[in-house]
Amino acid sequence: MTAATLERSAPPAQSEAPTPNARRNFSEELLKVEDISLSFGGVKALTNISFDIRKHEIRAIIGPNGAGKSSMLNVINGFYHPQVGTITYKGQARSQMRPHEAAKTGIARTFQNIALFKGMSTLDNIMTGRLLKMRRNFLWQALYWGPALKEELEHREKVEAIIDFLEIQAIRKTPVGRLPYGLQKRVELGRALAMDPELLLLDEPMAGMNVEEKEDMCRFILDVNDEFGTTIALIEHDMGVVMDISDRVVVLDYGRLLADGTPDEVRANQQVIDAYLGVSHD
Amino acid sequence: MLYREAGQFKTNYVADQAIFPIRQDRIGMAIVLLFAWVIIPAFGTDYFLEIIMINFLFFSLAAIGLNILTGYTGLISLGTGGFMAVGAVASYKLAVIFPDLNIILVFLLSGLIAAAVGIVFGLPSLRIKGFYLAVATLAAQFFLDWLFLRFDWFTNSSTAIEGVPKTLFGFLVTGPDASPFAKYYVALGFVTVFALIAKNLVRSAIGRAWMAIRDMDIAAEIIGIRPLPTKLLAFAISAFYSGVAGSLMLFLFYDSAEPDLFDINLSFKVLFMVIIGGLGSILGSFMGAAFIVMIPILLTLAPDLLGLPISSDLAKHLEFMIFGALIIFFLIVEPNGLARLWQITKEKLRLWPFPY
Amino acid sequence: MDGTAFEFFSIASGFLGGLFVDPFIAFVDRPDKLIQIVSQGLSAGIMYSLVALGFVVIFKASGVFNFAQGIMVVFAGLTVVSLIEIGVPAIFAILLAIVVMGAMAVAIERVVLRPLVNQPGIILFMATIGLAFFLEGFGQTIFGADPKPVPIDALGIPDDKFRVLGDFFRKPVRIYQLDLTALIAGGLMVAAIILFLNRTKIGRALRAVADDNQAALSVGIPLPFIWVVVWTLSGLVAIFAGVMWGAQSQAGFSLAVIALKALPVLILGGFTSVPGAILGGIIIGVTEKLAEFYWRGVLGDGVEQWIGYVIALIILLFRPQGLFGEKIIERV
Ligand SMILES: Nc1ncnc2c1ncn2[C@@H]1O[C@H](COP(=O)(O)OP(=O)(O)O)[C@@H](O)[C@H]1O
Ligand SMILES: [Mg+2]
Repeated sequence: MTAATLERSAPPAQSEAPTPNARRNFSEELLKVEDISLSFGGVKALTNISFDIRKHEIRAIIGPNGAGKSSMLNVINGFYHPQVGTITYKGQARSQMRPHEAAKTGIARTFQNIALFKGMSTLDNIMTGRLLKMRRNFLWQALYWGPALKEELEHREKVEAIIDFLEIQAIRKTPVGRLPYGLQKRVELGRALAMDPELLLLDEPMAGMNVEEKEDMCRFILDVNDEFGTTIALIEHDMGVVMDISDRVVVLDYGRLLADGTPDEVRANQQVIDAYLGVSHD
Repeated sequence: MLYREAGQFKTNYVADQAIFPIRQDRIGMAIVLLFAWVIIPAFGTDYFLEIIMINFLFFSLAAIGLNILTGYTGLISLGTGGFMAVGAVASYKLAVIFPDLNIILVFLLSGLIAAAVGIVFGLPSLRIKGFYLAVATLAAQFFLDWLFLRFDWFTNSSTAIEGVPKTLFGFLVTGPDASPFAKYYVALGFVTVFALIAKNLVRSAIGRAWMAIRDMDIAAEIIGIRPLPTKLLAFAISAFYSGVAGSLMLFLFYDSAEPDLFDINLSFKVLFMVIIGGLGSILGSFMGAAFIVMIPILLTLAPDLLGLPISSDLAKHLEFMIFGALIIFFLIVEPNGLARLWQITKEKLRLWPFPY
Repeated sequence: MDGTAFEFFSIASGFLGGLFVDPFIAFVDRPDKLIQIVSQGLSAGIMYSLVALGFVVIFKASGVFNFAQGIMVVFAGLTVVSLIEIGVPAIFAILLAIVVMGAMAVAIERVVLRPLVNQPGIILFMATIGLAFFLEGFGQTIFGADPKPVPIDALGIPDDKFRVLGDFFRKPVRIYQLDLTALIAGGLMVAAIILFLNRTKIGRALRAVADDNQAALSVGIPLPFIWVVVWTLSGLVAIFAGVMWGAQSQAGFSLAVIALKALPVLILGGFTSVPGAILGGIIIGVTEKLAEFYWRGVLGDGVEQWIGYVIALIILLFRPQGLFGEKIIERV
């Protein structure tokens, strides 16, 4: 197959998945951010951002590099603390929380630059996603017996299901540092899925992937959303992918909210065309 | 006997979660245990049991403790000697104050006291990282050194702390008059049990939490690991191991020691064991301990064996030089330690004779 | 209140008073003593600074945590002293010592650093501990294990003392010329290093490497060369520190342990800051001498062995990057 035919088959996932936004309707709000402003010293990363994420939807966040997309996810999972603004999650205004507390409320994420535990195997990396759910204290674990062993096996089974789902059985015992980039991204998704999240934040899950890998990743994201009903917020640069799989899109530019709506609405928005599509090549 | 796992299919996760999933490893382990528990005590001389084996055993325990902290959790500590001192002093005081206390309890309680001290000195680890933390742990070392010298309550007003004679099942197991044979079994019992516990911990949820913190603390926090309790537990368990090792060192090896035996050089010695053996490997802790214990012994024997009489001063200086050079040499040859060399050898064996 | 509780209370208050009140009364009562102790602290502190300085130079340019810096100081000092002992004129002794330290830098780069390039920091750190062991054994083989007095006269270091402020206090404050020399010469040394880093081509290259190894490589600075330069530079600092320190007591390997005091100085000042090393040294030197003297009543001798670490620890709790280190920004 030549490069040309490869290119023609893009954008991926088009043929398999029916455009979801056409058939789906969401009403219940899962998360709402209001008037969020965040700055680092002099740099204003986010200014007055408000939008919501509804249960079961796939919400895309797009914008040029440096627009503040990753910062937005960091605000949502408690890694950055905005100077102004409120976050309402599951109907409750959220006070400032540390990332591990956010994790406890069911928020999981992946990172733009892979943040796997390099010294551990694929299996162990995904098992860490189950840590919050493991109840036996270290004295039981020291024995590795009875309730501790039982718990370990239960979670191992859940993790094996995720490994099967992501089709990474063959690299189960491989240290993740040795895996190619695309597979690392997949393992990272696995780790997030192992947390049984209600809200899954994906920061450029397809960056740097080839067409085939992107197709796989799209399929996984849609399946997670369909089968487990997980709400997904997704940062992605590939406009084809965004238009295909997302239900609604937020557009950020220089830390400001430029547009918010269905893919079609956003695509038609003149400001977006000017500001974003002009630099969509990055 | 070949090292192959072909044909060994695991039919359930229980088998795969076993401590040594590969059959040859299980057989190897059985042989090691047989040697340790039966053959060595049956045939070893007193010199061998005491100067080599007991020495090796308590250092292994200390190395496992430091490896939990540095190798698994990624927190460099230069305070191991201080925590060993806490264990030694605590066991001495406990044995003197409570003459009827079982010696095993004495050791375990000393470990717990060391763990408490470890938690206190581990608190800065929430905010301080890397070499900054390493230097901060020196505070523990120097403060504890000073404390035990300065307040003679710890030494009952003498210059040295002593391994108090104690019996176990009717045998005298500690103190100068106990036989190396009995002492060896006590040391071996502790090391066997606590090595197993350490192995279990590092392959459980807590071990994965430690490694997650080590490999990327931010991501660890984002998947829900609370950094402070996780790090403090590593400090506590590590200090527990160091403390018990310090107790064994006093009661089973030195019998009598001035507190400054547990100085910063001891900390370095244990750190060397962990690095040479392999960070993040229980097996490596044993290998590193064996290596570092054997070097000085061999270096003192070597001139005689070679028939080169050298002055004891020069021998001492040469020992320093060779020791330093060997450390550098090993770091260059295999920065991941002896355990990694062993693993590579096994992988080669597994493929042998067809390397592809 | 029953008897034991009262006794406990009075012991506790005596203890706390001894720690936090009595020293201040003593300050006011005998200000000459205070000045005396502070000046002792300054002279100890400047020594810590000098060891720390050699460390910073290496850490800044190569990210290597050089644990052998203390031994290098001893080694350099003993080289000078031994050469003078066998009749080499002082000036040549120093020149020869510079050559020796340069040769050592080349050897270290070849044998230790080059094979370990790109290894994680802890491995390089361990290697420098190995190096420290090696140099200690090597130095003792060459120079012998006994400390040597520094021939102050031959080196032309003044060692009189001034008595000042006699009119103000009951006793005059003694200022040692040795301390003054160390202070002034140390200051000049620091100024020279800062000039070197900021004004010369090599210095700027060093700072480029410190900021980004790759960037430095791409502008064509050979890394091995830079390493040799920084290790030689820290060897120069070591010669100076070794001689001055030896002049205060004696040059011997026991100094290496005291040189560890440079470590809290470093965490206080930040691993990469030249002014931080100087100020950190002075803070640690002065506080530990004050603590040793004024807390002797309640804590006894030897507080100075650990108080520096504890001060550094406490400051780190509030500023994890040290007083002068760059703020650590975490991002994902
Ligand atoms: N931890 C931080 N410290 C300082 N500036 C930051 C930090 N994180 C993000 N920024 C700044 O905030 C802006 C938005 O960055 P980011 O959220 O990563 O953008 P995007 O993900 O859209 O590319 C950039 O100017 C970036 O430099
Ligand atoms: Mg981003």
